[in-house]
Amino acid sequence: MTNILIELRKIRISGVEMGYREFAKSIPATMRELLAERLMDVMLEAKDGSRVPSSLAKTILFYWQREQLSSEAGLTNLLEAVSYADPDRAFTVMESLGIEELRLAFRSTS
Amino acid sequence: MRSFGIEFVPMELFWKTTYYAVQAEHLGYDSIWITDHFNNRNVYVSLAVTANYTEKIRLGPGVTNPYLIHPVMTAQSVASLNEIASGRVICGIGAGDRTTLDMVGTEMEAPLRTVRESVEIIRRQIAREKGEYNGKMFRTSAGARFNFKVNDAIPIYIGAQGPKMLRLAGEIGDGTLINASHPDDIERAVKQIRRGAERGGRSFEELDIAAYTSFSVASSEKKARKPVVPVVAYIVAGSPPTVLERHDIPQEKADGIRKDLADRNWGEAFGAVDEAMIDAFAICGTPEQCIEKIEGLFKTGITHFVTGSPLGPNVRSAINLFGLEVLPHFKSE
Repeated sequence: MTNILIELRKIRISGVEMGYREFAKSIPATMRELLAERLMDVMLEAKDGSRVPSSLAKTILFYWQREQLSSEAGLTNLLEAVSYADPDRAFTVMESLGIEELRLAFRSTS
Repeated sequence: MRSFGIEFVPMELFWKTTYYAVQAEHLGYDSIWITDHFNNRNVYVSLAVTANYTEKIRLGPGVTNPYLIHPVMTAQSVASLNEIASGRVICGIGAGDRTTLDMVGTEMEAPLRTVRESVEIIRRQIAREKGEYNGKMFRTSAGARFNFKVNDAIPIYIGAQGPKMLRLAGEIGDGTLINASHPDDIERAVKQIRRGAERGGRSFEELDIAAYTSFSVASSEKKARKPVVPVVAYIVAGSPPTVLERHDIPQEKADGIRKDLADRNWGEAFGAVDEAMIDAFAICGTPEQCIEKIEGLFKTGITHFVTGSPLGPNVRSAINLFGLEVLPHFKSE
């Protein structure tokens, strides 16, 4: 997952901003709430939280204020943020939730 | 009416503190207090960001002090904050923390007089009163008025622990932040505030009396107790002799902790904190234990309960535990 998050970041930097969104889209609706919760834990407990760009942090607060972190848009931003904060732990979280197949699915589309 | 607040120490990145603040608002807390220490992130920057992402919850410094921040600056800061969080701003002010003031060579000179004059100046500034102010500690000229209007009242809460400061808080404050957690200390404090209100010819019932506690909640008592140790060390170090005596804590032990904290000998300072000190200066335990302890505090006459740091071994979980398992017990009454 570390690799794919780094790849995603590269995709975004090169101007194709679909990576995280496509990935968020592929997460089943029943799993979004739990994933958002767990990714937020990763964010809050990250030692490198300062690597999250302030604009992205503010976007996450925007969705949190509206209780929409588990929405497609909320997850899109959370996925990007954890790729800065702690990609290794984000990977572990996704593995523990059985999102490996989604990772593979995403890889085949990117 | 009973209200519930939460204190944040802006040691963490701004977005983390703001995340917790929004979480508290979602769960029904009534107030947010952000501490003001020069070695943490700036209190008003933290409050401004928090104000941007919240809608209803009241918020303000808890507490600032007039030795490091001149009262005209405090007035300006809370008045400016009110433009972002209209009608939600509260202002906590106290004499400060002796340990922190020592670090920058600032003496806590005439704390009662200094706090009294500060409150007067903050109110004058917010009201844009004309004329000069000539106090013993502060003075402002007639030209020191704001160039802008403040449309809402900003209640001033006085942070207090000793009897004289508590009486002053009752006499002139809109509210008091009692810096204590033990029911005996809170009960004594409430009596002093009542005396102060009588001295000032005010109705005690109009005042908002908050127990500003060192608090920690977790799924087990053991987990909840551990994180309060550093906070209790600071409280012991800053407690007046009368409070230490009441809890059978030798002055020399408190002096030792204060010196170790100032020298950043954390291991020594925190290692000197014992179980009795934790019981004297913190409220911690499971949600059920916390409910029982908070019930006891409300019986003393307080109207507001503030969960101060450390909150718990995991801040997010602690806010959820309090908001989902403690708060409903009181809000449903």
